[in-house]
Amino acid sequence: MSPVAEKTAQVVPIAAEADLLRVRSALRAEAQEAGLNLTAVTKLVTAGSELARNIFRYATHGQGVARIERAEEDGRRGVRVTFEDSGPGIADLDEAMRDGYSTAGSLGLGLPGSRRLVDEFSIDSQVGRGTTVMIMQWSR
Amino acid sequence: MQVALDSELAFYRQMVDSINDYEVVRLDETGTVRTWHEGAERLYGYQAREIVGRPMSVVYTEDEIRDGRPGFDMRTAAENGQCVTEGYRVRKDGSQFWASVTLTPIRGAGGTLYGYVRVTRDHTERREQELEMRAVERMLDAITDYEVIRLDADGMIRSWSPGAERLKQYTAEEVIGHHVSMFRLEEDIHNGLPERELASAARIGRLESEGWRLRKDGSRFWASTIVSPINDESGELTGYVSVGRDLSEKRAQEQLVQRQQEEILELSTPVIQVWDKVLVLPIIGTLDSARAARLTEGLLERIAVEQAEVAILDVSGVPAVDTEVAQHLLKTVEAARLMGAVSVLSGVRPETAQAIVHLGIDLGTLRSRSNLKEALQLALTLVGAAPILAAATGV
Amino acid sequence: MRMGDNLIVMLQGDLEDGTVEQVEREVTEEVARTQAKGALIDVSGLSVVDSFVARIISRIAAMIRLLGSEATIVGIQPAVALTLVELGVPLKHVATALNAEQGMARLQGRSRERA
Repeated sequence: MSPVAEKTAQVVPIAAEADLLRVRSALRAEAQEAGLNLTAVTKLVTAGSELARNIFRYATHGQGVARIERAEEDGRRGVRVTFEDSGPGIADLDEAMRDGYSTAGSLGLGLPGSRRLVDEFSIDSQVGRGTTVMIMQWSR
Repeated sequence: MQVALDSELAFYRQMVDSINDYEVVRLDETGTVRTWHEGAERLYGYQAREIVGRPMSVVYTEDEIRDGRPGFDMRTAAENGQCVTEGYRVRKDGSQFWASVTLTPIRGAGGTLYGYVRVTRDHTERREQELEMRAVERMLDAITDYEVIRLDADGMIRSWSPGAERLKQYTAEEVIGHHVSMFRLEEDIHNGLPERELASAARIGRLESEGWRLRKDGSRFWASTIVSPINDESGELTGYVSVGRDLSEKRAQEQLVQRQQEEILELSTPVIQVWDKVLVLPIIGTLDSARAARLTEGLLERIAVEQAEVAILDVSGVPAVDTEVAQHLLKTVEAARLMGAVSVLSGVRPETAQAIVHLGIDLGTLRSRSNLKEALQLALTLVGAAPILAAATGV
Repeated sequence: MRMGDNLIVMLQGDLEDGTVEQVEREVTEEVARTQAKGALIDVSGLSVVDSFVARIISRIAAMIRLLGSEATIVGIQPAVALTLVELGVPLKHVATALNAEQGMARLQGRSRERA
């Protein structure tokens, strides 16, 4: 019976465009270490890239963080990523989570898309305070 | 001259009185204590009036006094300009502590020796730590299944163990002074993984991880490693200890089980290559989302590997096509298209056709045939093989 | 990169806001200059394509088509294909091929049809 692994939380600040690459690399490394297959890894990294990009684009001063942790449950391993920003917040979450939501002419925050890519997804947002998105991807 | 010396010492005294970690004491040329200050009192237990006028040798251990150590240190200092020693010093109550002592001669303008300044630092804690560490290392050296490596604060290898040599095939000389990441895979180094792990260990006090390591001969093995930071008495990081073992066997077993599971799943979702660049995916039975995902991934992989241009999705074996199944089929078709492959649906039974239309699902431009044979003919036309077949069969 | 009447555009590494405009400019200039009949956008080097990158690819393809050439995206990796479909990005109207070889064949076939 192997000893329980420490949960290492990696925190990647998102303030500049170069941080998007860092988030992707960190996610890819953690996902591979957790034993996720290539498709699961790609989906997780893509979702992470979307969410990180949101922070960079829309959050105040483009600042926020991505917290990457490994998790274990019932013998399978997974990766949990929490994206936090202190940006403007999302006024209507239901609307944002619906396909087709659009602001400023772009395709919106890509939230519904990101949700489809991961096993678990939760979002919490308050106008004027910020947004927190949590995603999880498990190995099979 | 005496006046000049005294004023210099007055300045020293001011400076010295403000230092608390150290004990600074002045001795005359015979080694007798001339000045004593608060720090020294705290360190040695002697009050100024108890020790001024007595030889400094009282703080040496008996063995050292017998060996003539006090005099030796003074002579060394006088000759070389300074003498630094580490050793046990004795307090007034007889207890000992490990100290680092620097003896510096004071000379007058003409070079005459007036005495010495002695600075002592209490290193008991550090010494204890070191002794403990050495004892632990000796114990661990006896273990050859594990490797125990000591690193400095920058991750450079400072000590090696027989277990480490057995595991990684390098001798101590070959690794000491190198960075610990020398055993890691290039992609890990490229991703900055070793640094992150050390930083994590320093932050949380212990980091356990599993990963690939490289031996001297280039072969790799799956290792389980625990990294712990070592801090000095002020809490500053001075290095790390890394204990690791080879998990290859365990991993080999895990992989075997995983592969067996995958093979079982593979058997139930075979992708068949029926012609050059034409693949058939017979979908049989019910589809749960995990199985459906596996099917799709398998098909896409095969498309990439076989460079297929047409994928026939045969659903004659699916009893009921509901919204979920239909959605999944559509996603598979679209993903295949992104890879440049055209999909053809085959085996659509009347009930299935009804179900799909009633569900309001738009299959778009997806081609469909009622049986596999017709789907195949269509596929061959699409890849340009139909003319050849026609010629061969005289159709 | 030229190959006969056609152009091959390689997209690799990380496309960020800074380099995107530059890539778009270079591609459109090349297409116009060489009057290439077709252009292959090779993305086999991209292991992650998020909606931002997908939109860029879509835009480049649109620009190429506006200049009178055919645009074909080649080399989308299986995992990337699946991810793009799940994301729901609109790449429906762009031609695709598995690799440069097939892409060329398709371009040639089409130019034969047009001729």
